[in-house]
Amino acid sequence: MISATNLGKRVLTAEGALDILAGVNLEIKTGESVAIIGVSGSGKSTLLGLLAGLDLPTDGEVWLSGERLTALDEDGRARVRAGAVGFVFQSFQLLPGLTAIENVMLPLELAGAPDSEGAARALLERVGLAERLTHYPRALSGGEQQRVAIARAFALRPAILFADEPTGNLDSATGARVIDLLFELNTERRTTLVLVTHDDELASRCARRIYLHGGRIVNGAG
Amino acid sequence: MRLIRNLKLALRLLARDWRAGELKLFVAALVIAVGAVTAVGFFNDRMLRGMAYQSAEMLGADLALVSPQPVPPEWLDEALKQGLTSSEALEFASVVVKGERLQLSSVRAVGAHYPPRGVLRTAAALYAPDAVADGIPAPGTAWVEARVLHALAAAVGDRIEIGSAELAVARVLTYEPGRGGNFFALAPRVLIHRADVARTEVIQPGSRVTYGYAFAGADEAVARYQRWLKTRLGQNHQLVGAREGNASVARAIERVDRFVGLTSLLAVILAGVAIAMGARRYSHRHYDMSAMLRCLGASQRDIVQLYLPQLLALALGASLVGVALGWAAQETIHYLMRDFFPLKLPAPGAAPALFGVATGLITLAGFALAPILRLKAVPPLRVLRREAAPLPASSLAVYGSAAAAVMLLMWRYTASWTLTLGVLAGALAAAAALAAAAFGLLAVSKRLHRRVGTAWRFGFNNLWRRAHASVGQILAFGLTLMAMAVIALVRTDLLSTWQRQLPADTPNHFAFNILAADVPAVRRFFEANRIEAQALYPMVRGRLTTIAGVPVTQTVTKEERSDEALQRELNLSWAAHVPPDNTLVRGGWWTDGGGARVSVEEKLAKKFGIELDAELGFSIGGEEVKARVASIRKVQWDSFHPNFYMIFPPGMLEAYPATYLTSFYLSPEQKSLLTALVRAFPAVTVLETDQVLAQARTILGQVTFAVEFVLLFVLAAGFVVLYAALAATLDDRFHEGALLRTLGASRRQLRAGHLAEFATLGLLAGLLAAIGTELVAYTLYTRAFDLEYTVKWPVWLIAPLAGAALIGLAGYFGTRRVVRLSPMAVLREL
Repeated sequence: MISATNLGKRVLTAEGALDILAGVNLEIKTGESVAIIGVSGSGKSTLLGLLAGLDLPTDGEVWLSGERLTALDEDGRARVRAGAVGFVFQSFQLLPGLTAIENVMLPLELAGAPDSEGAARALLERVGLAERLTHYPRALSGGEQQRVAIARAFALRPAILFADEPTGNLDSATGARVIDLLFELNTERRTTLVLVTHDDELASRCARRIYLHGGRIVNGAG
Repeated sequence: MRLIRNLKLALRLLARDWRAGELKLFVAALVIAVGAVTAVGFFNDRMLRGMAYQSAEMLGADLALVSPQPVPPEWLDEALKQGLTSSEALEFASVVVKGERLQLSSVRAVGAHYPPRGVLRTAAALYAPDAVADGIPAPGTAWVEARVLHALAAAVGDRIEIGSAELAVARVLTYEPGRGGNFFALAPRVLIHRADVARTEVIQPGSRVTYGYAFAGADEAVARYQRWLKTRLGQNHQLVGAREGNASVARAIERVDRFVGLTSLLAVILAGVAIAMGARRYSHRHYDMSAMLRCLGASQRDIVQLYLPQLLALALGASLVGVALGWAAQETIHYLMRDFFPLKLPAPGAAPALFGVATGLITLAGFALAPILRLKAVPPLRVLRREAAPLPASSLAVYGSAAAAVMLLMWRYTASWTLTLGVLAGALAAAAALAAAAFGLLAVSKRLHRRVGTAWRFGFNNLWRRAHASVGQILAFGLTLMAMAVIALVRTDLLSTWQRQLPADTPNHFAFNILAADVPAVRRFFEANRIEAQALYPMVRGRLTTIAGVPVTQTVTKEERSDEALQRELNLSWAAHVPPDNTLVRGGWWTDGGGARVSVEEKLAKKFGIELDAELGFSIGGEEVKARVASIRKVQWDSFHPNFYMIFPPGMLEAYPATYLTSFYLSPEQKSLLTALVRAFPAVTVLETDQVLAQARTILGQVTFAVEFVLLFVLAAGFVVLYAALAATLDDRFHEGALLRTLGASRRQLRAGHLAEFATLGLLAGLLAAIGTELVAYTLYTRAFDLEYTVKWPVWLIAPLAGAALIGLAGYFGTRRVVRLSPMAVLREL
């Protein structure tokens, strides 16, 4: 499903070149749930961005759904992502100008899905927000916003879901409920899950854990 | 397929953005911009067409044809075919008789539809109030000018003879189109019906008769007919369109069009700046959306296909609303100003609406496209890293497209790339100089920093922190206020300053058409009544035909060819000595009193490139007269003394029929002597300069009001910029306000700070306006009008106060939201 070989990301800073990631090799199989764990600055989010094709590595290769992402331009990578990849972010990334249901409809509309509104409503009902359809993000609590984001992520029934610190901005009780929902949907829809977190408890719910330290995998690559 | 899907999604996104209030400021800017442009366009269109109509009224037609013989009947049939109204008139000179008295008159015999444009005005009796006449004189009757009645000692109802016909005087003719400006007509007018011409038996083979044909109709039909006619005209036909009818009016129309048009462009540019600011904000606000869409698999082309239609729909929608707003605005203002327009303006046409929409699209494309197209370059990585943003649009793209849009719109008014570039370069230079001055003012205000309270310091700080924006706004408002002040000065101060500076006994009357035989008697009249009169100058009518052997039609440009000095006959005079208020600038005066020489007025010489010693050819009474240029003279025209473009030595022109001309001063108590003068010398035409000045004042008032009207829209556009700039800084201000409030600042303190900021901005703009006004007015008064200059103190008071009040209040209200939200809500949203 996803594979990375000898992946590296180097940036230039005032003090010279800095390796954010180096020599990362990993393989994630269809239907697997994988947690990428590490402290702040360990390169977790950078790795997630590279695996999802949101950014290009300076070294190595990434394959996603049988496509070599590193050989494609930005539009090519977007084509691979379209419909196959879903995202959940720490900062929710809901568009403030759109209501809850419109945020969920957006990927469906972009893909030209037939009944985007019906599908979006059903998803929001599934995540327990039937009463919040027409609310703008600013009128929703953090937990509610993240549930909208999860509904949006699953809208196109993606084969892979990338989640970047999905509970990072939530208190622990709310975070736990959001995570329950995430894993329920993941199981229901047999999605491959790649989850970035610094929370060991959350990571322990994934089948496999990959530890990053200083931009390198310290164990768990497979 | 994908395109259609994207289009649908684009419209849905647009609707959502609209509902969420994301677009309102941007659209408001666009609506006001297009509204301003269209209001100006509609109004200009109406005024220009009104003016064109007015000149048509002066001519009495949209198109006039003068011929020494009747024209072929098919020419008139063609006019009918083109849907034009036409009327024929015959004009001839004849002596009108009553009893023992005679008066040489200019008889015009008219038919139905006369005049096709404009009106005749008549009165029931001498000196009775006049009114618009209904139709033309009935057969068997005549309408005559007052001079005829004076000369014949006749009254309305008396019978007069023209040739063999006897006609009853039915009305006193007080106004006739095409005659208003012609003070030099020797013979007074008698208007009769065409059916009576044969009865007079005046017209015999070889008689000098002029056939006049007047046409009126829709603009296109007139133009079509004019083209048709032009190919058929002979040497002795003279065709005059309403626009050419009065060369000076035509030039005035062109200048007003150009000037007012370019003024309205100031509104477009300001609106463009507001739109550019709005577009930047829009673009920034959509980075997240774009990144999310990219993350969800949208290609760059999808992004363009999603945003471009939104922009287009926005532009069209806002432009249409703007056009409606512009229409309503100009209707309202027209209604409020209805007393200012003695003439009913024609209804607004469709062209300004189309131009308004086009302006909306061009302005939007020029000022908004570059930043909005950057949305396609938003990296999807932004969903993970907030700081990931596209490189800003290149300066070349941003400023280049804006400059291209402005030049395109400017070209619409100048119709010349050279002029466009010239105006643009001049405007940029002036703007740079004023921007430097604005920066200087800002720097001076900075020094006051320590001497003001907290609130003011907070406000001042805001101004310097955004120094570039502040200078831009001071410049925009300063320029607008300056333009308004200059126009107001021209309207209220310029003419009265000029009049005040004239000596008290400056002649206020001109007397023309004094017959040679009457000259001694007129002199005696002036002496007997203690009237201060200038010398009586002889005057012979002649046309300048050649300069240094070359026909003038070949040596001058097309525009100069329409110059009155060439179109009409010139007044030629002769004198043994240099007239008192003339000074020789080149050459010498004749002392021997003989020889074929001529002295030419300086400005005319310059205009036509007439050099000293060049041989000029004149056509006087059908004869060619040649004369060498002996001197070039500078003439002080506003002395109100009789003055001439061409003066010959005595002995050259005496053989030609001449009349005499003088000017004199009458005090208000002496006014009654005018009637005595006219009664004593019926052929004499008297021109009262105070009346001419009053007319000039009215015209100046109308034109300056029109320009001020346009400037109001420029001012409105300035406010749009202010609000756009406010919106761009609003997030900062929210943040800042919330922080200050958590630190203990009260709402009142914050509000006072805002008021201080914007009142200072307005005050500085007003000061800049005063400086600019003083410079422009000084140049105008001393260079263009040779007037003594005094500092315009009121401007220094009114402009800064008005600026502070207007902009202070606008800014105060624009920022009121900043303190309305609770600091908690603000900080959480950030």
